[in-house]
Amino acid sequence: MTVLVLTAVPVGLRGHITRWLLEIAPGVFVGTVTARVRDLMWQRVNEHLGEGGRAVMVYPARNEQGLAFKVVGGTWEPVDFEGLTLIRKPSR
Amino acid sequence: MTEGRVPLSGERVGIGELQPVSRRSSFVYLEHCVVHRDANAVVSVTESGTTYLPAAAVGTLLLGPGTRITHQAMLLLGESGVVVCWVGEGDTRLYAWAPSLFQSTRFLEAQARLVSNRQDRLRVARQMYQMRFPGEDVSKATMQRLRGMEGARIRRTYRHLASAFGIDWHGRHYDPNNSSAGDDVNRALSIANSVLYGVVHTAIVALGCSPGLGFVHTGHSLSFVYDVADLYKVELAIPVAFEAAAQRTGSLSSQVRRTMRERIHEAHLLERAVDDIRLLLGTPDADLGGEPGLVLFDDRIGEVPAGTDYSSDV
Repeated sequence: MTVLVLTAVPVGLRGHITRWLLEIAPGVFVGTVTARVRDLMWQRVNEHLGEGGRAVMVYPARNEQGLAFKVVGGTWEPVDFEGLTLIRKPSR
Repeated sequence: MTEGRVPLSGERVGIGELQPVSRRSSFVYLEHCVVHRDANAVVSVTESGTTYLPAAAVGTLLLGPGTRITHQAMLLLGESGVVVCWVGEGDTRLYAWAPSLFQSTRFLEAQARLVSNRQDRLRVARQMYQMRFPGEDVSKATMQRLRGMEGARIRRTYRHLASAFGIDWHGRHYDPNNSSAGDDVNRALSIANSVLYGVVHTAIVALGCSPGLGFVHTGHSLSFVYDVADLYKVELAIPVAFEAAAQRTGSLSSQVRRTMRERIHEAHLLERAVDDIRLLLGTPDADLGGEPGLVLFDDRIGEVPAGTDYSSDV
């Protein structure tokens, strides 16, 4: 299952994504898509994110955590801890 | 949850809410940071920011050089059943562990019983060696012979991997007082072993077993950890160390831990260690989810319920 969270993005992008995923709460999309479709979707999100927009995508992966994620925009960044990905919130 | 039930703060996590050890991520390694409690979370803070640690979803927390940890952080880690190991850059280790994730002493009692009886102990020790020589029948071999076979197996593994990875191998040498001494392979071996020990230790305490009551090893507070870790060393730690030393691209220790995580995950090590321990202790079918029952010992009928007034029996 893929989860996509879009914050402060153009309305058109949100609408576009609903062709593949179900919007279950404002900006929160879920669905099952193939890895290829997911990658193309993420590419589309990056192209149309707009100023100040943020996106997070979570999907299953064959690693210890059982998942992987991508983020764009915003200040929280994924940090690799020798194979385990955690999120770092920057100090002010 | 009732409405208006505010204080999550100070609320203990029930044992049933904890992720079973076999489903946890094997370990997190931290260095040069402060680990403390922030808004009910275990966090690691560095100059660049704050990282939240999924305490109830990892087995072992390895604290490297330059880490500081607060009382409140240890409290949360303890509640979450995380084994905390302070590790040096090499193989120096100091352990602390949380109370078992499993409140029954079923496995601990089986372990103590088997260790205390000479014949049973010999049988378990032999079974541990048998697991390393799957094709051979070692049921008649003496302990002396088994030690010899094991020594030869380890040497063979070292030699084979050294030639496979094109490494100049002069034998296993390490100085516990100076972890940066020694060649890359020897350092990598120490680091890989320390990860393996931490992860195996986690499985042992998760079952409520004693890390000190070993069958093959004895006399050390981590004897059983060394016993169980030896079942997987040739398969996991040694190849990882040779591979990392041969194909080193950056920090050796980091590369060893990264590769160890991959192999531990692929080999389902936590699950296997739990299953193997249960098998060795003769309790493979024992239910892990059962409620702990506190009872009183009775020399004739075995046990009687606790929390009962027996004054009228006398």
